[in-house]
Amino acid sequence: MLKRLIAVFAAAIVVIAAAGAWWATRVPASPFDRASQASPGATEAPEATVARGAYVARQADCVACHTTEGGASFAGGLAMGTPIGAIYTTNITPDRETGIGSYSLAEFDNAVRRGVARDGHRLYPAMPYPSYAKMTDEDVQALYGYFMKRVTPVRQENRASDIPWPLNMRWPLAFWNIPFYDGHPYVADTSRSAQWNRGAYLVQGAGHCGSCHTPRGLAMQERALDQGSAAYLSGALLDGWYAPSLRNDPNTGLGRWSESEIVSYLRTGRNVHGVVFGSMLEAFNNSTQHLSEEDLGAMAHYLKSLPGDPERDGKPWSYQAAPARTGSPSNGEKIYAARCAYCHGVDGRGRGQWISPLAGASSVLSKENASTINITLNGSGRVVQAGTPDSYRMPPLRQLLSDGEIADVLTYVRGAWGNGAPAVTPEDVAKLRRTTNPSSDEVIILQMR
Amino acid sequence: MNSLASTDLGPHDLSETPINLSRRGFLGASFGAFVLGVALPAGPARAQAGAGPAIDPGTRVPAFLEIRPDGSVLLQSPFIEGGQGIFTAMAQIVGEEMDADPSRFSVVAAPPGPDYLVVNGKLRITGGSMSVRTSYERMRRLGAIARRMLLQAAADRLGVPLADLRTEPGKVVHIASGRELAYGELAPAAMTLSVPTDVPLKSPADFRWIGKSVPRLDVADKSTGRATYSIDVAVDGMLLAAVQHAPRLGCEPAALLNEAQVGAMRGVHSVHRLPGAVAVVADRWWRARKAVEALQVEWKEADPFVQRPFPVMPADFSSAALKDKLIASHGKALDAEVVGDVGGAMGKAAKVVEAVYDAPFIAHAQLEPPAATARFNADGTLDLWVPNQAPEIFQRNAAKLAGLEPEQVRVHSPMLGGFFGRHFYYEASLAFPQAMQLAKAVGRPVKLIWSREEEFLRDTLRPMGVVRFKAGLDARGKPVALEAEVPGEGPRFRVNKVPLDKPDPTAVEGIAEKPYAIPNRRISQIPVPYPVMIGFWRSVGHSMNGFLYETFFDEMADAGQQDPFALRLELLAGNARLTALLKSVADLSGGWRRGPYTAADGSRRARGIAMASPFGSEVATIAEVSVSKNTIVLHDIWVAIDPGHVVNPAIVEAQVRSAVGNGLSTALLEEVVYEHGRPKARNYDQYPILPPDRMPPVHVRIIESGAPMGGVGEPGVPGVPPAVANALSTLLGRRIRSLPLSKAPLTASAS
Amino acid sequence: MELRINGMTHQIDVEPETPLLWVIREELGMTGTKYGCGLAQCGACTVMIDGRVARSCVTPVESVAGAEVTTIEAVETDPVGRKVVAAWIDNQVPQCGYCQSGQVMAAVALLKENPSPGESEITEAMVNLCRCATYNAIHAAVRQVAKA
Ligand code: FES
Ligand code: FES
Repeated sequence: MLKRLIAVFAAAIVVIAAAGAWWATRVPASPFDRASQASPGATEAPEATVARGAYVARQADCVACHTTEGGASFAGGLAMGTPIGAIYTTNITPDRETGIGSYSLAEFDNAVRRGVARDGHRLYPAMPYPSYAKMTDEDVQALYGYFMKRVTPVRQENRASDIPWPLNMRWPLAFWNIPFYDGHPYVADTSRSAQWNRGAYLVQGAGHCGSCHTPRGLAMQERALDQGSAAYLSGALLDGWYAPSLRNDPNTGLGRWSESEIVSYLRTGRNVHGVVFGSMLEAFNNSTQHLSEEDLGAMAHYLKSLPGDPERDGKPWSYQAAPARTGSPSNGEKIYAARCAYCHGVDGRGRGQWISPLAGASSVLSKENASTINITLNGSGRVVQAGTPDSYRMPPLRQLLSDGEIADVLTYVRGAWGNGAPAVTPEDVAKLRRTTNPSSDEVIILQMR
Repeated sequence: MNSLASTDLGPHDLSETPINLSRRGFLGASFGAFVLGVALPAGPARAQAGAGPAIDPGTRVPAFLEIRPDGSVLLQSPFIEGGQGIFTAMAQIVGEEMDADPSRFSVVAAPPGPDYLVVNGKLRITGGSMSVRTSYERMRRLGAIARRMLLQAAADRLGVPLADLRTEPGKVVHIASGRELAYGELAPAAMTLSVPTDVPLKSPADFRWIGKSVPRLDVADKSTGRATYSIDVAVDGMLLAAVQHAPRLGCEPAALLNEAQVGAMRGVHSVHRLPGAVAVVADRWWRARKAVEALQVEWKEADPFVQRPFPVMPADFSSAALKDKLIASHGKALDAEVVGDVGGAMGKAAKVVEAVYDAPFIAHAQLEPPAATARFNADGTLDLWVPNQAPEIFQRNAAKLAGLEPEQVRVHSPMLGGFFGRHFYYEASLAFPQAMQLAKAVGRPVKLIWSREEEFLRDTLRPMGVVRFKAGLDARGKPVALEAEVPGEGPRFRVNKVPLDKPDPTAVEGIAEKPYAIPNRRISQIPVPYPVMIGFWRSVGHSMNGFLYETFFDEMADAGQQDPFALRLELLAGNARLTALLKSVADLSGGWRRGPYTAADGSRRARGIAMASPFGSEVATIAEVSVSKNTIVLHDIWVAIDPGHVVNPAIVEAQVRSAVGNGLSTALLEEVVYEHGRPKARNYDQYPILPPDRMPPVHVRIIESGAPMGGVGEPGVPGVPPAVANALSTLLGRRIRSLPLSKAPLTASAS
Repeated sequence: MELRINGMTHQIDVEPETPLLWVIREELGMTGTKYGCGLAQCGACTVMIDGRVARSCVTPVESVAGAEVTTIEAVETDPVGRKVVAAWIDNQVPQCGYCQSGQVMAAVALLKENPSPGESEITEAMVNLCRCATYNAIHAAVRQVAKA
C-alpha cells in the first residue's frame, strides 16, 4: 500500500537538475510500440483477457490508491502526503479527456512499468512502477484490456499536486531511476519450483509488497527489490505504521507462521497470530482476499523461503505467564485491565482468530513502536471479508487515554508475556497523535467498476 | 411497499407537545371542578367532543388501580419510568391518600388514553421535570377517591355509615367493633361504585409516606436483571431487524450493489428500503446487523423539491463552521427580556466587558439503544412497544402512518434505559416507524434495534449554544447593564414547528429572567437554523445556558474586582429564598473559599460557584478542582436544591447526583463534532461520557422552602459546568469560555 | 457447539464468531445481560467467564467452549452475588437500571476474587459506564460488601 507514501526527491532534484534533459524527457521504448499504434483505447481484448486483467488489477491493488471513499472507481483524487506537499492520484478510468482513454497499450505500459505518462512526464514513484516493472507483457496487456473495456469512464480532472515550483518538476525523476529502477520483467529462477517462482512474481511484481515492507534508502528507494538482499521485506516504517518483516524471523516476521496460516491471513484477514490492521487492512480489503488460493499459496511459499536474521530478530519469543505479583500492579497493567483485557485477554492471548493476541505479536515485539501506538490511538478500520464486515474492531482510544497512559499501557504490553520489547515514551505517542487521525468505523468497500 | 412507505408523518399537533418546558405557566395552575360518574368503557377511549361526557383525567379509579385479593396494588402510571423514580413517587402519592403501603404497589406505564392526561389535567408527557409537580394534587385526589370507594364498599358490606369507619394501611376498620376488612376483599365491590366527587385530601401533617425516603419499587428488579426494556421485548413469531441509515439526513437509498449476496446470508429473511435507510430482517438481530452492515448502498442526494419535516444535512456541514457563523451572525434580534435602558447604561458605564461563550452539540447517549417492536394483529389493530415520553403522541402518529384509528394502536411503554429527552416524538430519529414498515412488509411482528452506531448517527442533539455577552460596570465595579445575544435555535420551536418570529424560550432560558438585580438588561435571540436534528436534552436550554451565563458572570465579577460569591449575594439582596440557598451551599461546602489554595495533599485547588433556576426549582452549586497530570480533577461537588416541597428526599438526592454526573460529563468531555455532514463519533470510544473514576463525591442538601413544587430530575445539571469552569478559570488564572474543558490547555497563565 | 451457562449445558448452532452477548440474549432468551455499545466500551454486557469479569459483546462464543459462563440471571444463586444484590438494594443504586446488570456482575467478579478490596481497587475494577451516573452509589455498595 502506498497511500500517502512519502515521496521526497527535493534534494536530489536540485543536484541533478543540470543534467541532460533530453534523456530525462524521452519516452522509453515499450514492447508494445508497434502493437497498438493504430487505435488507442479500442482494444480487441477477448473476455478471458479482460477477466485476467481484472485479476491483475486486484493483485496490483490499483483501486486502493486511485479511488477515494465515495468517489467513482479509479477516478483518482486520493491525497498522498509528502513533506513538500500533497500529491493526488490520477484518473485511470478510460475517459478520453481526463483519464487514460486515449492511451495506447504502449503508453499504458510505459506508465505502469516505466513510470512515464503519455505526455512524457515522469510519475512519482508513489506509483510503484519499479515493482510493476516485473510484470509480464501478458499481464500488462490484460490489465490494459480490463481498464479499457470494463472500467466505466468518468470525467474527472486530475488535481495538480500541492508541491511548489521548482520542486514540482518531474523530469529529474528520470535520474532517480538510474540507480533504483531495474526495468526488467521478472526472470524465473529455474532452480526453484514453479510455485516459488509464481510467488516471487506476485510478491515482487504486482503485489508490490516491498513498497511497505522493505526498508527505504536515503532517496526513499526500496533497498532491495528481490530476495537477493537480506534487506528485502525485512520490515519498514512508513506513514506512521511499521510494516513488519515478511521474512522467516520468528519474532518480528513470519517465522512462527506456517504457509497455510499465511494463506488464511491473506484470504480471510485473520489467523491465530493476528488480524490485519493499518495499511495491511486496506491491502486485504481490496486486494489479497481476491486472489486465488493457488496464488496465495505461492506467495506464502515464496515468503517462507526468505531467511530470517537472528541477529536483528533476537532470541525467539516464547510465552511466559505473568509471575506472581508482589506489590500493586503498574499503571500500565491497570490500564490494560480496564481498557484492553476484555478483548485481548488478561493473558494477552486474544480470542482465537477473531481478536488478535498481543502476546508474541510481531508488531508488539518489533523495536519500532509505531504500529502499536498508531492502532491504540486510532483503532483499526473495518476488515471486510467477502463483503461481510468483521464482528470486532479495535476502537480508537485517543480520546480515552492520554499520551502518558498510552505509553504506560504499551510499555506494559511490550514487556508482558515474554514480549520483551522496549518501553514506549509519552513523546513517541504525542508525535503520532499529532500526525495521525482515527480510522473510520464505517464499512468502506472500494468498488472496481 | 404499501402506503406505510410514505415519509409524511404529518405536522405536529401543538396541543399535545411539550407546551412549555420551563417553569412559566405551570405554577399556580388551578385544578378545576371534577366531572365524574361515567362508566369505564371496555377499550381505550378518546376524549372527543360529542363522544359522551369528557373524561376528567386522573379520576376514574378503575383505569388506574387494580387491588388484588392479597391486597397488593397494580397502578397504571401516567408517567414512564426511566430512572427518575416516578413509579415510586406515584405509588407514594396515590398510596398516601388511599392509605395503602407503597411497598405493596407494582407500577406499570399506562396505555394511551384520556384518563392519563394528568399534566395539569391536559396532556401527558414524561419530561420537563414536570411529572410530580403538575399532577401532584390530581394523583393525591385519585388515591383519596379510591379510599373513599373502598370505605363505601365496606360501609355497604357492614351496613354501617361511612362515619363509623376509618382506614389503616391496606384495610378498612370499623371503629366501634375493631372489625377489619382488607382492601383486597373490598376491591371487587368498590370498583363498581360510582366515583365520588367530594373527597377531602389529607393534611400534610398526617403524611405517612409523602416526604419520606420510601425505597424505590424498581430497584430489586434492576439489580438482578429482571427489569425489561424495549430492547428486551419478545413476542411470538417475531423477526429481528437492523438498519443502516443514510450517512446524511435527507439522502435516500439508490442502488443496493450486493442485495442478492446479502439476502443469501445465514438467517436473513429479507432486505428492505426505508425512507433514508436500508434494513435487513432476519431470525436473529446479530445476523440482521451483520447483513445490513454488509449491504453496499449507493445513496442519492436529497431531492430539493421534496418537503420534509426535518432538515437536510449538507455534505459540507461542519460544527466548527457553524460555530464561527453563529459568533459572527447579526440578523434580526428577537427580544426575550428587556429591563431598563441597556444602551444608555452601557454608555455611562465605567467599564465594559465583552466576551463570546460557546457550548457544543451534545448527544443523549442514553445507555439503551433505541428499539421498537411492531405487531399487526388479525383484528386490524397494531401493538407497538416503543421507548417514549409521550404515549398519546406516538399513538396518534403511528395510527396516521398505519392508516388506523388511534384506538386501534396499543402503545406499550416499557421501562426506559435512560432518556434525558431522547424519547420525544422527533421526526427521523425514531425506530418505531421503521419497525412498523418492516412488520407490514414481512407480515410478522418485527423487533428493530438500532446499533449504537446508528443511534449516534440519528440522535437529536442538544443545540450548540453561543452567546455574545456585554456587561457595563459602574465605578465600584458593580454591573449596571447586561446584554446577551443568543444566535441560534432552540429545540422547542424546532420540534413543535413554531415559526421563529419570537424568541424560543428553550434557546434563552437560563439567560433571560435571571434573578440577579442588574438594573438594565437586554436578552435577545437571533434565530439561525441548524441543519442538524436538535431536541430536548436533560434541562434543555438551561443545560448549556447555565454555563454560558454563569461563567460570564464570574468574568464580569473579575472585571469589577468583585468576589463572584459576594457579588451574587449582593445582587440577590432582598430575595430571601435565593440568599438562603446560596448561603446554604456555601455552608455545605464548609464556607466559601475561592482559591487558588494548597490543599492538605499538596495539590493546588480552586472552587467555583454557579446558580440556576430551572423547572421551578432553585439550585446552587460549588465545585472544587485541581489539575493533575494534565487532567482536570474534581474533588467534591456540593449542591443545594430548593424544589419547594419534596415527595421522596432519597429520590431527589439521587436525581441531583445523576444530573450532576451528566452536567460534569458535558463540562469535561462531551462534544458532537460534525465534519463533511457527518458526526465524527459513532460510539462511546470517540464520544466519551463521564467514567466512574472522574465522578467526585456529590453532596446534596435539599431545602424545602415551601415555595410551589418545582422539578427535580433536571435542575441539578446546569450549575455544574459553570461551577467547574469557574473553578478552573480561577485555578489557571485564565478565563475559559468554551466547552468541553478537555479542549482547554491546562497550563496556568501568569495574568 | 456446547455452551455452559449458569450451570446448564445448552446446544447452540450459531456462527463461531457470534458475540456471546447475542447468544445469551437471542438463543437462550436471557435478556438481563444488556447491549450498550458492542465495543467493550460500556460494560452493560458484563458476565463472568470461569469466575472472571468479561464483556460478552466482545467475546466470540467459540472462545468460551468448555468454560463456565455466569450471567446476572444466576446472581442470586451465589453467596457473594446475594450480598452484592442486597447492597445494591440497600444503597438504592439503580436509576434507569440499564447498566446495572453489568455493574452488579462486575462487582460480584471483583468481590469473589478479592473479598475486601480497598478504595483504589474498587475504583480500578468498577469501570463500567453509567449514563445516569450512579457512580457514588455503586462505590458505596461495593464498599459495603467489602467491609462486611
Ligand atoms: S455492550 Fe459490551 S461493553 Fe458495551
Ligand atoms: S442506571 Fe442508567 S445507565 Fe446506569
